[in-house]
Amino acid sequence: MIAPARPALNPGWILVLPFLLLVGALFIGPIFNVLWISVTDPEPGLGNYTALFTSGSLVKILWTTLRVCVICTVISVILGYCIAYAMVHAAEAKRNKMLSLLLVSFWISVLVRTFSWLMLLGRNGVVNNGLEALGIISAPIGFMRNELGVLIGMVHYMVPYAVLPILASMQSIDGRVVQASRSLGATGAQTFWRVYLPLTRAGVVAAALLVFIINLGFYVIPAVLGGGKVLMVAEYISVQVLVTLQWGTAAMLAALILFGVLALLFLMSRFMKLGTVFGGAKA
Amino acid sequence: MHDKQFMRETLLEGAKAFQAGKMERRSFLALCGMAGFLAPSVLAGRAEAAAGEIVMWNWGGQSEECHTSAIGNAFTAETGMPLKFDTSGPLQGKIKEMVDSGNVTADVCDADLFDAVALGKTGHLEPIDYAVVDKTKTIDGYALEHGISIILYGYAFMYDTEAYPDGAPANWADFFDTAKFPGTRSLYKWANGSLEAALMADGVAKDALYPLDMDRALAKVKSIKDSSIYWGSGSEAQQMIVNGEVTLGMIWQNRGRSIENDTNGRFKLVMNEALAMPGAYIVPKGNPGGPDVMKFIATAQSVPAQLDLFACLGMTPTNPEAIAAMSEADQPYSITSAANMPNIALNDPTWWGENTDAAVNAFLEAIS
Repeated sequence: MIAPARPALNPGWILVLPFLLLVGALFIGPIFNVLWISVTDPEPGLGNYTALFTSGSLVKILWTTLRVCVICTVISVILGYCIAYAMVHAAEAKRNKMLSLLLVSFWISVLVRTFSWLMLLGRNGVVNNGLEALGIISAPIGFMRNELGVLIGMVHYMVPYAVLPILASMQSIDGRVVQASRSLGATGAQTFWRVYLPLTRAGVVAAALLVFIINLGFYVIPAVLGGGKVLMVAEYISVQVLVTLQWGTAAMLAALILFGVLALLFLMSRFMKLGTVFGGAKA
Repeated sequence: MHDKQFMRETLLEGAKAFQAGKMERRSFLALCGMAGFLAPSVLAGRAEAAAGEIVMWNWGGQSEECHTSAIGNAFTAETGMPLKFDTSGPLQGKIKEMVDSGNVTADVCDADLFDAVALGKTGHLEPIDYAVVDKTKTIDGYALEHGISIILYGYAFMYDTEAYPDGAPANWADFFDTAKFPGTRSLYKWANGSLEAALMADGVAKDALYPLDMDRALAKVKSIKDSSIYWGSGSEAQQMIVNGEVTLGMIWQNRGRSIENDTNGRFKLVMNEALAMPGAYIVPKGNPGGPDVMKFIATAQSVPAQLDLFACLGMTPTNPEAIAAMSEADQPYSITSAANMPNIALNDPTWWGENTDAAVNAFLEAIS
């Protein structure tokens, strides 16, 4: 787990070798198989990839996925930042309680969450019925079975992922820099924007990447809370594999997501050292 | 309690190490996983098929016990061979993958007849041996080279009686008429049934549906898109209706009776213009049990097995003798009973077997 600080070609590699081979066979192998299918099924060539430029429906699905993921990432990171900030500034006992609550939500299965949201915010859910009983609304608000429902479900799922890296980065800040900033005459807002926020930037980037990348593969929440109208790439891939047997299209989309994520990491690495974000890499 | 405390601390330490660059992202995620955050991965418990037994690949749940009591027990008594199950759901993609991998572990799949057309064409299925299986014990046209219909299910709709006190919707035209019957409605997400319903609503005669006029069907589906939601599983369809999310809901007809009973008749099933779907038994190429599986399929055609499946799962028999033997009370819920037969449409498995990919993708594009 903890990366060794020494250079490579340590005899320890011999011990690791069997596991590397295992990873190669069981992880890298299938990835190459997917790439292979994407250029050979139904016929050899780049036909599956050129379909991206000719098929409006593929573009629409990718655009929906991208839009939902970006919005969800932004909201999750902002909420995560607020929660982490509150936790870092709370007393020890209170912070532990907050952490417990955060982790409890980690433990709830995605299906339970999904159906809980339907019960809470559905057409006949607690919230709509309550508001109607109070006379605040006359017709139920459409929280669920649309893009809003997908976003609510996904943000709820992702906030803990956003909190943990940000929390860790906040805890590593030397509190004296804030005091120094104030003592040099900066206002609270100035201190936050010019000292505190930049110091937590690595945590924010880590959180955003983590959330965004996990979001790309969401399946259950869009499928159920979207009411069939929010078609994201993971569900589409599943349909192409299981129902329509267009494995080439499915493999192409999977490869696209894979390269998209790699490109994103590369792009980020141009602007900041990924080592400070994810660890492992040497500065 | 101690475990939780430990996990909490471990996770926080992990987050710190991860942040400080001492831990790799993958390890951190693994740690999150150990701390209890892990989408429950459902690993299909594959029963390894061997000679001397028959493995049925079905959808699990109630159907496992129903297939045992209705067919399995009689089959075992007759042949001495036990019936085992793989309950991971025999979708086309999974059958294709299993046959292509060369590791076939199932003998018979509880699938659709259009799967028999699609997968038969590509060489993934064994032909049905009609010396053992009886072609006459099913609906006309539903005994194909690579599959035979054993039961029927169907696409019908239910409505909320409290939403429409002044007059009940009676056909698909009413279902698609948002002015006369306001409210949200639900359709099946993967095109099947939804396209036929749209065409019937648009005035196409129920015996002239195929080949489906896709443009016309999709235009009709889109015309009620703003007041539609779409389901992907039978339980989801049921929830949408029972939870009041929709006032008109398409449903697999075999679920309708229990919903009517459970809600004391608040939600009513409309069988008029239901689309009968041939559920079929198909045999993956190179099945481990060999030709014995044909005896199993023949057992499933027997009258007692067919009636038991109806009682247990609500699936309509295909054997005409079994249909004739049904009780008066059961007749309205049997999609091919004498009373229902003139009012229903019959699915064309050949059209679907050849056009599923295009139809499903066009439908998904239209609704998303």
